[in-house]
Amino acid sequence: MTTTTVRPNQSIWAHAARSIYKDKLAFISFVIVTVYMVMGILAFTGVIAADWSKEIGPSYSAPSADYIFGTDIFGRSVFLKAIKGAETAISIGLVTAFITVTLGSVLGLIAGYYGGKLDDFIGWIYTTISSIPGIMLIIAIAFIIGKGLTAVYLSLGLTSWVGLCRVIRGEVIRHKDREYVHAASAIGGSDMRKMFRHILPNVSHMMIINFSLTFQMAIKSEVILSYLGLGVQGRPSWGVMIDDAKLELSRGVWWQLGAATLFMFIIVLALNILGDAIRDALDPKLKGK
Amino acid sequence: MNLKKCVIAIMAASLVVFAGCTKKQNASERVLNLSSTAEIKGFDPINAGDLYSGREISKIYEGLLEFHYLKMPYTLVPNLAEEMPQVSTDGLVYTFKIRPGVMFQDDAAFAGGKGRELEAKDFVFSIKRLADSKLNSEGWWVLDGKIKGLNEWRDKNSKLPATNYDEEVEGLKAIDKYTLQFTLAKPFPQFLYSLAMPFTYAVSREVADKYGKEFLNHPVGTGPYKLEAGKFDQTKTIIYVKNPTFRKKLYPSDASPEFQNLLADAGKQLPLVDKVIVHVMVESQPAWLKFNKGELDFYGIPKDNFGTAIKDNKLTPDLSGKGMILSITPLLDVTYTGFNYENKLFQNVNLRRAMYLAYDEGKSNELFYNNTSFPAQSIVPPGIVGNMPDFKNPWKGPNLELAKKTLAEAGYPEGKGLPEITYDISDSTTSRQMAEFFVKQMEQIGVKIKIVASPWPEFMAKVKKKSVQMFGMAWGADYPDAENFLQLLYGPNKSPGANSSNYDNPEYNKMFEKAALMQDSPERTKLYEELNKFVADNVVLMYNMHRQSYTLQQSWLRNYHTSDLHHNNVQYLNIDNEVKAQSLKKF
Repeated sequence: MTTTTVRPNQSIWAHAARSIYKDKLAFISFVIVTVYMVMGILAFTGVIAADWSKEIGPSYSAPSADYIFGTDIFGRSVFLKAIKGAETAISIGLVTAFITVTLGSVLGLIAGYYGGKLDDFIGWIYTTISSIPGIMLIIAIAFIIGKGLTAVYLSLGLTSWVGLCRVIRGEVIRHKDREYVHAASAIGGSDMRKMFRHILPNVSHMMIINFSLTFQMAIKSEVILSYLGLGVQGRPSWGVMIDDAKLELSRGVWWQLGAATLFMFIIVLALNILGDAIRDALDPKLKGK
Repeated sequence: MNLKKCVIAIMAASLVVFAGCTKKQNASERVLNLSSTAEIKGFDPINAGDLYSGREISKIYEGLLEFHYLKMPYTLVPNLAEEMPQVSTDGLVYTFKIRPGVMFQDDAAFAGGKGRELEAKDFVFSIKRLADSKLNSEGWWVLDGKIKGLNEWRDKNSKLPATNYDEEVEGLKAIDKYTLQFTLAKPFPQFLYSLAMPFTYAVSREVADKYGKEFLNHPVGTGPYKLEAGKFDQTKTIIYVKNPTFRKKLYPSDASPEFQNLLADAGKQLPLVDKVIVHVMVESQPAWLKFNKGELDFYGIPKDNFGTAIKDNKLTPDLSGKGMILSITPLLDVTYTGFNYENKLFQNVNLRRAMYLAYDEGKSNELFYNNTSFPAQSIVPPGIVGNMPDFKNPWKGPNLELAKKTLAEAGYPEGKGLPEITYDISDSTTSRQMAEFFVKQMEQIGVKIKIVASPWPEFMAKVKKKSVQMFGMAWGADYPDAENFLQLLYGPNKSPGANSSNYDNPEYNKMFEKAALMQDSPERTKLYEELNKFVADNVVLMYNMHRQSYTLQQSWLRNYHTSDLHHNNVQYLNIDNEVKAQSLKKF
């Protein structure tokens, strides 16, 4: 008698977790991202870097045993500023990615599921939004609610959901004629139930992938905006540090630039590698690789 | 067409394009390269409230009088006026003869596109424009209440749907084509100075009518230069060329002893250089690099390059080897942190005193001025009568203990109950750093400050609309008289006038009005000093610094000297192209 060997049934998530754990580089990246998250939370709650604005030494002291990463114009620790900057970056990354994913997937789901006029309308919205240059929109939003963290959250969040929305819409159109959705209809499932209980979980890997990519995009954008003076105000940010460095470099003060770049480089690289790994892990076509 | 032919065709086409782009640089053409550290609002003289716009406007427009380029102390001389005015014995009637043969620059606004001759009525029109409440001029404060009938004309017309420029004003008359007569409502000893300010420059009615709201981008004056493009496009590079119809105006032949070395071009027709290029560069580093490549003809040393440029108050060999020349000049200015008095919060004198006491000027001098500035005790800078060299402001910090005590007396012990205060600045990196320093200083006594940065024109607009709480600014003299500084706090000069903090104190106003009517005398000086002490004791502003300019000029620049009041100095500057070619080899 022939029998089939039955492999234990494995969910896509467990599979993804396992494949990331096995991928050394991805795992290290995951650890780095976790460390940054913890650092951000600790800085936010004031456990670390709470006294970043205190003078710890003379202005523009070079990095040394006393001052890791040196001091800035006011004699503040560049190291603590960079950590506080991580808080800013992480918060912007998280909030932006959250706005993006929520908006993108809900609108994508509705557009794809209902089609017709609703689809046209949502398509019109995202085409319009994506046609406005991000910076213009940010300036406009900053004009209305004033420059600052909220303006950055909103402007980055409101400009970057379009890509995800398109992808989700496409996926939903593909899924809504599948058997499992028809089955759900047959037993009297409502539209909401079909959309959120049945289809959404099946496209959720897109959201996870998009979340990680938006996260690092938002961090980079924040740095650029703050450098241009459009971003966060009155609190440390890597972009503001680089803006300071623009003047300081001619004095030979490189450590603010160095610290900000290093901190940013590590998290962005880690997020990119992790994002790639998650995509590979969640892609059904690559399953069993 | 096959691929090869296609590529050749594209290459040939691009060659044509490139050839078209190559500029023919005339070797003998003399070009001046300058920089402006702020964006230019536009070219409307009545809104030349800031130095940066004033400098650009002065290249194109002119006034009745100007300051002699080579005389110190500052001396008024006729410019569009043929001679200094005749003044009646009571000092109220000023009669000017306008220089004949002065032409407006050619523009489509004039019949046949040819500029017409300047007449006395143009000044009547220009000064009425300054007074027109619909135009909301930044400069009305200069003549407010000074010319007979002008205030009445302004008030009457503010109620009409359109301003009637044809209605006569008693104190402002064109008697004939070349005779202009002012009748003052009351003595105004600084009147002649006001006629050298950009606010009173001559504009023509045809141009103002033709362009309307766009007038500020279509400057048509009588001055030595005009815009190469014909209009201003808010670009970052502003190019001026010689005005071909400029009248005969010669480089001065007489000079004060300190300027004897600037007489090489005496008697030559102005302007001396053919083209002026102004680069709007808000950030200091790119401008400094440009200067060091020889692409700017003079530039103030930025704070972050001071250490590498200056040793023991002398230029480092690296720079002096390139032939650069350093000039150190105290400026007639005061930098200050202003409160908006329309906001009730700031009417609390103890709050203002507490904040001033918490601020460490010495540290700010070290961080931002390389210890080259003089901490200000009050509003009138050294070099102007009314300044008191030995006066110490009792509320000037740093004195944290007293600051905390005063803040408690203000009703906000340790800052409790005090809302977050916004602090508006213009948006360069250095301004932001200064603002951050201010935030840090205020934190020490529990006062919370939020920084709001905007580009210079937008920042100015916010201040003029009174929509700021606190702000950082500087005032440079328009004329060498304490009245020009004391008027900054005179109630009727509120925004959009020069009184950006909207301070309005009846006691101060009364004292000021008294002083403003007085001719130069020991009594007036005494009153000036009293006013100066009054505003110091009440900490009406947080007086920060009287600055010094550390300006570097290139070896090929001629006739340059640092000055607070010569906004029109560009016409006197010259370039030695031979020296430039030689010097640039060392760069």
